[in-house]
Amino acid sequence: MIDLAGVSKHYRMGTVEVRALDDVNLHVSDGEFVVVLGPSGSGKTTLLNIIGALDTPTAGRVSVGGRDITAASRSELFALRRQTVSFIFQSFNLFPGLTALENVEFGVDVAGKRGAVTPDAVLEAVGLGDRAGHFPHELSGGEQQRVAIARALATRNPVLLADEPTGELDFRTGAQILELLIDQASDNRAVLVVTHNREISRIADRVIEMSSGRIVSDGPPAGGKAPVSELRW
Amino acid sequence: MTTLLSSLTYEGIPVWRHAQVLKWTTQIVSGILVVTLVVWFFANLANAIRDRNIPFGFWFLDNEYLTPIGQFYLPYETSDSYLYAFMVAFANTLIVSVIGVILATVLGIMVGIARMSGNWIVSRAALGFIEFFRNVPLLVQLYFWFTVVLALPRAREGYVFADSFYLSNAGLWAPWPTIESPGAALAWVALAAAAVFAGVTVYRRRLRRETLTGAASYPVWLGIGAALGIGAAAWLVIGAASGVAPFVIESPSPEGAFGRIQGGQSASGGMIALLAGLVMYTAAFIAEIVRAGIQSVSRGQRESARALGLSWAVTLRNVTFPQALRVIVPPLISQYLNLTKNSSLASAIGFSDLFSVAETMTQKAPTLSIFIMVMLAYLSLSLTYSLIGNLYNRTLRG
Amino acid sequence: MLPSARAEAWLRANLFSTWYNSALTVASVVLLGTVLWYGLRWVFFDANWSVISTLGGLMVIGRYNVEAACPGQDCLWRPQVSLLLLTALFGMGWGIAGGGLTKRIAIGVAVVVSAFALLPYGMDTMGMDVRLLLAANIPAVLAGWALARYTPLGSPKWLAISCVVVFLLILLLLRGLSQVPGLQPVPVTEWGGLMLNLLLAVIGIAGSLPIGIGLALGRRSRLPVVKSMCVVFIEVFRGVPLITLLFMSVRIVPLAFPENFPLNPIVSAAVVITLFSSAYMAENIRGGLQALHPGQAEAARALGLAGWQTMMLISLPQAIRNVIPAIVGQFISLFKDTSLVYIISLQDVVGISRAFIRGNVEFLASHKELYIFLALVFWVFTYGMSYVSRRIEQNLRIGER
Repeated sequence: MIDLAGVSKHYRMGTVEVRALDDVNLHVSDGEFVVVLGPSGSGKTTLLNIIGALDTPTAGRVSVGGRDITAASRSELFALRRQTVSFIFQSFNLFPGLTALENVEFGVDVAGKRGAVTPDAVLEAVGLGDRAGHFPHELSGGEQQRVAIARALATRNPVLLADEPTGELDFRTGAQILELLIDQASDNRAVLVVTHNREISRIADRVIEMSSGRIVSDGPPAGGKAPVSELRW
Repeated sequence: MTTLLSSLTYEGIPVWRHAQVLKWTTQIVSGILVVTLVVWFFANLANAIRDRNIPFGFWFLDNEYLTPIGQFYLPYETSDSYLYAFMVAFANTLIVSVIGVILATVLGIMVGIARMSGNWIVSRAALGFIEFFRNVPLLVQLYFWFTVVLALPRAREGYVFADSFYLSNAGLWAPWPTIESPGAALAWVALAAAAVFAGVTVYRRRLRRETLTGAASYPVWLGIGAALGIGAAAWLVIGAASGVAPFVIESPSPEGAFGRIQGGQSASGGMIALLAGLVMYTAAFIAEIVRAGIQSVSRGQRESARALGLSWAVTLRNVTFPQALRVIVPPLISQYLNLTKNSSLASAIGFSDLFSVAETMTQKAPTLSIFIMVMLAYLSLSLTYSLIGNLYNRTLRG
Repeated sequence: MLPSARAEAWLRANLFSTWYNSALTVASVVLLGTVLWYGLRWVFFDANWSVISTLGGLMVIGRYNVEAACPGQDCLWRPQVSLLLLTALFGMGWGIAGGGLTKRIAIGVAVVVSAFALLPYGMDTMGMDVRLLLAANIPAVLAGWALARYTPLGSPKWLAISCVVVFLLILLLLRGLSQVPGLQPVPVTEWGGLMLNLLLAVIGIAGSLPIGIGLALGRRSRLPVVKSMCVVFIEVFRGVPLITLLFMSVRIVPLAFPENFPLNPIVSAAVVITLFSSAYMAENIRGGLQALHPGQAEAARALGLAGWQTMMLISLPQAIRNVIPAIVGQFISLFKDTSLVYIISLQDVVGISRAFIRGNVEFLASHKELYIFLALVFWVFTYGMSYVSRRIEQNLRIGER
């Protein structure tokens, strides 16, 4: 599903050359729940942005959903973002002028899947059926994040990218969000979660550790995959 | 054609899709468009100057202007040059702006605080002031104030206050310090500097003490007291040592021919009307800025400061005011610029500001040249204000 | 609580909470009372308001209907019909919004305008036809409402189209056509009065918003050439007084055109006012864009919107919504600034009133009355605009932190 071969991202800040990513090779298949671990500045967000076609590498080849996007045109990249990958952010990034339902509908419209998906049902699936008419500021943090997930899921895109999705939530709501994400992987989506919280990596199929732009380890979590209920926050 | 274009690639991406290429194409195309427009305009202007004998140039600047200027604060004779007359007018604009800025700030802060008063009548009256003065065109207000000034008694029958202030439809005369000798003037400057320095030092030390201990330390009053005390003491010492006062206050008196008032400092009727209009108009805007600034410091913060045991005045000085200032100063500076630009409406009520003198000059000198100078003068003022604003922002960060 | 007890509590809380508050109350009552006493006495007994009634129509349409402008005909019906078209537009807005603020504005405008038909003038200065056309504003607003309600024209899109059509129609009606008998051209230089202020304001408002948005986006652009051009434009137009620009537009700009090129002072004024206002508008909108949380743009991009789509659909609407007070403030400023066209000898409501009063010795003592009246005229419009802006802001606050 996701294939990265020799991907690097270098840029200059003044006279210093920053190596955000350095020769990264990675393959993620459908249905895999992958946690990318690393301290801030290790390049994990850059990795996510390159997979999500929000950023372009300076070297190497990237292919997502079977399409090589290294030399894709801008319109191809827009299409990729609409129909292949969905994003979830740490700070939810809902549109404040739209209700929960309208936020989800907006995502569906942009993905061009109006009619194929019922936004109400998706909102129901994340447990917010009764909150459809509320504006983001009327929802709690966990509810906002669930709306954001609903917006991402409603597009039915096969790749789900989440950048610190539980970063601003308390542990109970965080656990709910993680359960939702695991459900998506078992629904045969590729799910990539970026975090600096080592505990979260225990529930992954596979943990990738990054440091200074390189992958330093890759494999199943030490001690085997644990259910969310076993997380000690 | 298509194959040719497809073969043009840049780092493996077709050129017309490459962000870098698109970026430069946009820039070059828009740049050429604007440059063409500007060149067309100035080329036509240059042609007109040549073919239609439109006067242009700056040779006239050294010629005698030979036209009276209504009121001036730099010494002016009609035999002075155009350039100097222009500077005299510019000085008029500057003086009106500075006085206007000071008065509008004082009045604006007063109205803004009154607007937030818990007293219903005071707050409503302030609201009425704000809503009226900022919603009526300044021009109409200026005409009104000018009418009021003209309705004052004539010069000889004007009002006299304390035998030294004369107010009539010709303007206002007030006592003013004059400098007797350059040495005394220098002493005066040094004295003022010392007093200000003493005041600021005391203010800072008391403020620090207040911040550290939380006990009211009256920095404002003690600071002003120190400045006045040092000033008075120094004055006495200098006066006793030299027998020469730093300056002499001269009062106006109606001793000129036909009872005309001489001496002191005067402001013409036009200037008074201009200041009245500018100050009321700008104060209404400043009041709203002050209110918004103080309200931007959340009530919770103010209450928690009070809960820490800080008094109302200490809270205002150390918690509310420093934070409110960040919100207040940038729009305040833009109001100052507006006031300065608005002073150009002086031409409507006969005060000789930069614009009205320049307009008169165009009757005898090239319009184009004069207005290039006018634009540059106003732009330099606006630049000065932005510099002040940037400096302020830098001190906030630094 | 009993009403009297409530009133007492209110008084205690708002006027007499402490001893100095009570003192303040007493002092301000005395001060305001004195001012009101003398003010009202002047208004009702000393002031000579005949200057206003004598000026009358001159204030509203300037010299549009004088013999020199409109020889051998009565052209008064043309601005009057223009006004009817305008109220019909308000009616359409009401029909589409279906009530609330829009309804009150529409009805308010129609009623106030129609009320002028009842002014106690002699029939010679304001004939029956004039009065009927004024009264027709009430049917006009209802017609607009019905049009929006019962025909397919009742959508915001059609309202926008109607606005443009009505604007062009009004220009045509006022300008006239030499081919059509009874619609002889009225030279633009004779347009004046409040009509001119409103015309310039409408053009300025309609023009400065899109140009301002363009400049704001240009100033935020990462392209250095585009950015620097926008910065120079904005800073120059904000750095000098409007009257210098107006002055230059009639004294210097014509030099860049061929000799005898028919440059119209009203068009020059409209262009200068629009550009001047655009520079300020750009800064307001830029402020709104800067204050936006970058997260939403990020989310929109991640959903697959292109950069310009994100800007047009997400960032710009929110930025504009957040700075509505500043934008309306700029519109108010623009409307007030239309009085500055005196500098290029256009006769707007202030200019023509001044010209009139200075030419008539009998009103030499009535300057104060005139300026107070003019202040009220402007105030009604500007305060109305700021009131509407506050209401819009309140309605939009739903869906915000």
